[in-house]
Amino acid sequence: MKSIEEINQKIKDGDAVVVTAADMTRIVRDIGAEKAAKEVDVVTTGTFGAMCSSGAFLNFGHSDPPIKMARTYLNGVEAYSGLAAVDAYIGATQPHRDPKVGLEYGGSHLIEDLVRGEEVELLAEAYGTDCYPLKDIHTHIKLDDLNQAVMVNPRNSYQNYAAATNSSEETLHTYLGTLLPGMGNVTYSSAGELSPLLNDPFFETIGLGSRIFLCGTEGYILGEGTQHSTEVKRINGVPVGSAGTLMLKGDLKKMDVEFLRGATMPFYGPTLYVGVGIPIPVLNPKIAQQTGISDEEIKCLVYDYGVSRRSRPTILETNYHELKSGSVEIDGHEIQTSPMSSHRKASQVAEKLKDWIEGGTFLLTQPVEKVPSKGQTVKPLHIKRPSILVRDLKSSEPITTNPQDNINDVARLMVENNINHVPVVDNNGKLMGIVTSWDIAQAVAKEVQELTQVMTKKVIVAMEDEPVELIARRIDKYEISGVPIVDRDNLVKGMITAEDISRLVCSHQDKRGGY
Amino acid sequence: MKAWLNFSPEIVNQAVISDLIKNFDITFNILKANITPKGGEMLIEIRGNQAQDGIEFLEGQGINLTPAKRVVKKDEEKCVDCGACVSLCPVSAITIDEGWKVELDDQKCIGCGFCTSSCPTRAIKLVD
Repeated sequence: MKSIEEINQKIKDGDAVVVTAADMTRIVRDIGAEKAAKEVDVVTTGTFGAMCSSGAFLNFGHSDPPIKMARTYLNGVEAYSGLAAVDAYIGATQPHRDPKVGLEYGGSHLIEDLVRGEEVELLAEAYGTDCYPLKDIHTHIKLDDLNQAVMVNPRNSYQNYAAATNSSEETLHTYLGTLLPGMGNVTYSSAGELSPLLNDPFFETIGLGSRIFLCGTEGYILGEGTQHSTEVKRINGVPVGSAGTLMLKGDLKKMDVEFLRGATMPFYGPTLYVGVGIPIPVLNPKIAQQTGISDEEIKCLVYDYGVSRRSRPTILETNYHELKSGSVEIDGHEIQTSPMSSHRKASQVAEKLKDWIEGGTFLLTQPVEKVPSKGQTVKPLHIKRPSILVRDLKSSEPITTNPQDNINDVARLMVENNINHVPVVDNNGKLMGIVTSWDIAQAVAKEVQELTQVMTKKVIVAMEDEPVELIARRIDKYEISGVPIVDRDNLVKGMITAEDISRLVCSHQDKRGGY
Repeated sequence: MKAWLNFSPEIVNQAVISDLIKNFDITFNILKANITPKGGEMLIEIRGNQAQDGIEFLEGQGINLTPAKRVVKKDEEKCVDCGACVSLCPVSAITIDEGWKVELDDQKCIGCGFCTSSCPTRAIKLVD
């Protein structure tokens, strides 16, 4: 019905009708897709979210004498420099080399500082060659000093994304933010009806070479992003979970910190907030209909991040209208939601892109090759050596004690069996607490007689079907030396200790000939 | 009123709070607590007809009481209005307005600090 060339002519003449995706939703609802396709030429979208798979190529220029940088640090954050002599790629999630700074200042913060025009420290090490004799450099640089600084983000602008909650008893710190225990909150990240790829759900107008808004300047789509997936369940034409992604490129030197921000997800790590806006040319009524999608029509699944496995249980199917209302209902309870991506900034992105197009300074492009719209799936990584499960490690019958048992008997039990932990169980074998040899020593020193007074009642446990790696992390996190193994009914099945895990690691190294 | 109660090691073992609730006509809510055998602190909200008498009772028992004045303040330049903090606030002091701007109400804030430690851009700080 309309071509990109015709729309561009209208833009040049100042006659193009440009609306944001949020406005388009109302327009299509009011006048229908047929009429909307005639009246509207371009729909602008926008999102401003934490996009971990982002970074920039930097070229530092050659020093005299020259150096072939093998390791490069910018303000203490390593940039990958296995690229010729003076090229490096700074990744957004790279933490600071100093563990004391760690996650608080990483690649994303460095990128923000560069864009702010701040001077940053450059440290480079090299092995030295005949043509690149210099072995180290310590200097300071600014963005303007670099030959090129090109943002290239391998995976941005997810088409949709899961929402998260946490059924476990501990607070979790994830890439979707802080999740309170007992399903205390729900976090989500998509911009919903404003989100770029939800407005062109079959990638009919975009692809390699599409000009877009990226962090306050013009950028380009390089093609589909990593983990691009097309075979995801759709409702109302749009995927219900993470599906399509984009690889994007833009000139860091022209970017604006209003639309690019370094951040740290607490206890998770650095990430970059990236502002992306894509103009969708309204070529026909079908595209008008698609850009008219509403928050209510875009479904989203809430997953339980309390389960640390690749497949997480689904807790709820909801939509962006509900999520954006501030709370969703789970099991009759009102649970508060957090957007994680900024809807305010997303709107500003869409508005700014609209201004550029209306002002005649931004023309649309015909993609050289479209983003694939079918046949793309995400393959999992199969670990050749599968995870050893807790049940594989467990050996003898569990040694337990009852709360009414006497301290001396428990001490004897520990000595006779050469163990340091004894789970305390009720008459049905259900876990009530745990005592360690240290607890028994304390009881003797303080002349306590009751086992219940020295036992730990809030017990960290392992399930039989959990991988041992998870238990190792749990033992480390809580600074304990062992955990009881229980089944779904809280019946004690055994114990797993730090010693068991050490032995397991050693036996594996032996089999591989050791280190 | 909202206040921080400071417990010395000597009184940790005494049932002061249960005596307070039994003997005074008050409503009492514990918003945050960290008590160890070596003492501790508790953020409480106390209301009711006998709130003032209750406070005097607590002070008489050797508990050091300081009205809660710590509240959070937002650095507008650093904040990107992502709303990560909104669902973490236990007293609904953080809201998102119609323009999707994150607003803090320091009248409601109890200074628990949960939002400060969860802010991706470190835009929220506790101030006295």
